[in-house]
Amino acid sequence: MATLVRVDDLRKEFGKVRALAGVSFNVEAGEWIAIMGPSGSGKTTLINILGGLDTPTSGQAIVDEVDVARLDESGLTRFRAQKIGFIFQQFHLVPYLTAVENVMLAQYFHSATDEKEAQLALERVGLADRIEHLPGALSGGEQQRVAVARALINHPKLILADEPTGNLDEANEETVIQLFRELHSEGHTILMVTHDPAIGNLADRRIEFAHGRLVKVTPSNDASRNAYR
Amino acid sequence: MFWRLLWKLLRGSGGRLAVAILALVSCAMVVSALLNLEFDIERKLTQEFRTLGANLLISPRNAQITGSSPAEVMIESEVSAAIQSVKDPNVMAAAPFLYVVGSAQNTAVVIAGTHLEELPKLEPAWRIEGEWKSSQAQQTACLVGRNVAQQLKLAVGSSVSLTYLKKNAQLKVAGIIDAGGAEDNQVFLELAEAQDLAGLPGQISFAQLSVSGTTTGISHYAARLAAALPAYEVKPIRQITEAEGDLLSRIRLLIVSMIVLISALTALCVLGTMAALAMERRQDVGLMKALGGSIGRIVTLFMAEVGVLGAAGGFIGAILGLELSRWMGQRVFGQAISSRWEIFPWTIILTVAIALAGALPLRLLGKVKPAIIFREQ
Amino acid sequence: MFGRLVKESFVRNPRRKLLTAAALVVGMAVATSTLTIALEVGDRLAREFRSLGANLLVTPQSDTLPVEIGGVDYRPVNEGAYLSEADLGKMKTIFWRHNVLGFTPFLDVPIAIQQSENAAPTRTMLIGTWNAKEVPVPDGTTFKTGVSVTHPWWKIRGRWFRDGANECVIGAALAKTMPGIVPGKVIYVSDETGVNSVQDHSTLAKGTPLEVVGIVSTDDAEDKAVLAPLEIAQNISGHPGKFRQLFVSALTKPADAFSERDPLKMTPTEYDRWFCSPYISSIAFQIKTVLPGTEVRTIRRVADTEGNILSRVSTLLWIVTLTALIAAALAVAATSATTVLERRGEVGVMKALGATNTLVAGIFLAEQLLLAIAGASMGFVLGALLARSLGSSIFGTPASPRLILFPVVLGLAAIVAFTGSLIPLRRAAHFNPAPILRGE
Repeated sequence: MATLVRVDDLRKEFGKVRALAGVSFNVEAGEWIAIMGPSGSGKTTLINILGGLDTPTSGQAIVDEVDVARLDESGLTRFRAQKIGFIFQQFHLVPYLTAVENVMLAQYFHSATDEKEAQLALERVGLADRIEHLPGALSGGEQQRVAVARALINHPKLILADEPTGNLDEANEETVIQLFRELHSEGHTILMVTHDPAIGNLADRRIEFAHGRLVKVTPSNDASRNAYR
Repeated sequence: MFWRLLWKLLRGSGGRLAVAILALVSCAMVVSALLNLEFDIERKLTQEFRTLGANLLISPRNAQITGSSPAEVMIESEVSAAIQSVKDPNVMAAAPFLYVVGSAQNTAVVIAGTHLEELPKLEPAWRIEGEWKSSQAQQTACLVGRNVAQQLKLAVGSSVSLTYLKKNAQLKVAGIIDAGGAEDNQVFLELAEAQDLAGLPGQISFAQLSVSGTTTGISHYAARLAAALPAYEVKPIRQITEAEGDLLSRIRLLIVSMIVLISALTALCVLGTMAALAMERRQDVGLMKALGGSIGRIVTLFMAEVGVLGAAGGFIGAILGLELSRWMGQRVFGQAISSRWEIFPWTIILTVAIALAGALPLRLLGKVKPAIIFREQ
Repeated sequence: MFGRLVKESFVRNPRRKLLTAAALVVGMAVATSTLTIALEVGDRLAREFRSLGANLLVTPQSDTLPVEIGGVDYRPVNEGAYLSEADLGKMKTIFWRHNVLGFTPFLDVPIAIQQSENAAPTRTMLIGTWNAKEVPVPDGTTFKTGVSVTHPWWKIRGRWFRDGANECVIGAALAKTMPGIVPGKVIYVSDETGVNSVQDHSTLAKGTPLEVVGIVSTDDAEDKAVLAPLEIAQNISGHPGKFRQLFVSALTKPADAFSERDPLKMTPTEYDRWFCSPYISSIAFQIKTVLPGTEVRTIRRVADTEGNILSRVSTLLWIVTLTALIAAALAVAATSATTVLERRGEVGVMKALGATNTLVAGIFLAEQLLLAIAGASMGFVLGALLARSLGSSIFGTPASPRLILFPVVLGLAAIVAFTGSLIPLRRAAHFNPAPILRGE
């Protein structure tokens, strides 16, 4: 399998604070990686850099043969639109747009909108009857599923999820995790930040962070995978 | 999608929309009302200045000081023909005068022949007790100055006999004039009557005109009139024209500077409000950037939103403003100020520009990493 | 804790407070400057209107009818009544003496002028008046006045005569008809009656020699006459210390329905109010009291124009000021509303922690009040500076700031900032904390 993400000695400093202090690892295409570690260990910073939301202080972060660190502002914008699908802990849906319009927004920034396709994407995540609802009328799990549909709509190379279940109750968490399992089985490459070891165990590998450094990489096995309900 | 987004943005803003519209409408209203007022103020003020009376004098060249009879006279028909031919809507009144010193009931008095019905237009400040022109016996009516009436114990309706040299005329007092000047000592009668009495048919001593407008406008008119009357002298009455021009320019400066000041500061206030509103969209901008929207496209979207708000606010405000200026005109000058529709597009353009300028700070977010915007939450 | 909360809300996110504060400063600067100008404009413009010259005319009460055409009295000198020049100092003893900006007496005498002692005489008028006379006032001071105050539009080439000197200025039209007369030349003037009675010029009584020092142009009858010190006219006419007309230029308040009423029919309170207002009618009345035997008339053209325009301009300015205040208030209210609106999250947190609506409103209102005080103070200073420069560009002298406006502006700012935040706060009172915290 080809290497999709190559991170080499990645560093990020916010003033005196070191968020990433030299991180290196690779991700193969189709892999599901769980990034774990205590708060402030640099997980979100890593996701942000890989997704082009932030730029590193030094080092390389190559995603699909593009070094994110070397992209300029408009290059980053194109990169985000074409290669990345984001899923946030806070969902970040636009409150005054309906579910389908939130999905279409991603299409709009990528290329052209296609309402049918956006509806299909929502049906896929089980929201066929919520297409015209505003985010305020949706439960947390439903909102996150809209976010998943939005992240997938442009067929991104890499899906970045920052604590996607952090704001969800157990039932909703399960639905969303089920979606990630399906995505994984379809061959999507996923980088997911999580606190929950049970969810971490579902990934192909767990990468653990502490104080901005990568401390441990654990491949998962079928046994641990099945441990998740 | 652009229009759909725009529509949703507008619908979704709720309270913000109300605040923005309120600010923009009030700005547009003030600006358009004051601009409209400004356009009309000069015309209105120059009209007000006409209570100063005549400001243009047509007189014979080299008229000598005279004792009891006019030494040099002008031909009435020439003067009136010239005034007729040099048409100008700003001429409020024009009246020929023939002055002779005669006597009324054995008292020496200045007798002035003129067109009595022009007097109230020529001298709006004069007060009259009685009527300007007797409705029944036109030819034999006269107006007497306050002092004359006092001295000769005349009242409205009493008759007075005027004598000039050997001629005599019996006249009826139609009104008593209070002018607060030399005219209080004079007797006014119809020009034809005076010419008859003085034995000077068709002749006048001078003519006076009341012309509204700026100093330059008045002197232009005077020059045209002078060209039509080469034999006579046409000159502005300096006491009036000079002071009027000076006062007019000061009052205008006062009002214009107030208007500019208020418009500018109102615009500034509204700009602040719009900027505050726009900065509330930071999170939306951050999210859209994360989804791969270029800052140009995102800002265009929000610019379109405030642009629509600006246009709507400008439109409503401009209509209200024109209405407001009508009311102001009514209140201040007793007559409505005519609406200048050319102000309409300018007000809307200005309001849109203010709204857009208010949203401009969003552009600064182009350099800010979305991660940082998210972190602010 | 309350104080700490208010302080906290200032320290956190100062940029947003800055916007409200900026709107307040600008808005209150508009309020201060427009109010200052509006308060001052009446006085300033009234003074400007004095360029129209005299607005009151004083004549003897028991006079015969003046035979006056174009401002020159053609009555023989021994006819009619006269007023005494010595009384004129009393003009500055009336209640509104400071509003009497100037007064000038006139005495017209028909004369004959000769360019040399034996030359043929020309008949014309001599107008005796004051150029810049030091008038003794009964309180011991002197007051300088003359034609430059009451007839500011008169233009002089050369210079004006000195009061009391044997000098004169001649009208432009007369100068044209008598080319021999130029500044520096001496002319001889004598009573016109002398010319009529004596046929032989050589036996004519010797005229008064006057040095011509300037040529005056007035675009009126004076252009055809000789203007000389009042004393000269008095001597020629044989009426020493007398004059016939007095032109008065006074600062007045525009006439209204009240001022037009007959003072004799007023109640004592109304009378006092009328007497103590600088209406032209009350100033005329006061002049009449100090100069008995006179008739004091309003020169209607001047007084009415001044009154009309003054009252219109000040109404206009008040309306414009009012609009400016409303617009500034709306803009400031809108900005405060925005800042409250965008802090719904905080409201949610506070309410979730059990804060009552009153407490939440209290914190926000205290914050707005502090902003209002700061904004109003800065706005007042800014507005006062603005009014100063506006005043000097329009009227030549800066408009002095009025401290009385400070509390007005402060109150206005507080009301505006309060009302601006009240509506969003009322809405915040109905907020359910949960959806706000969810970030909706």
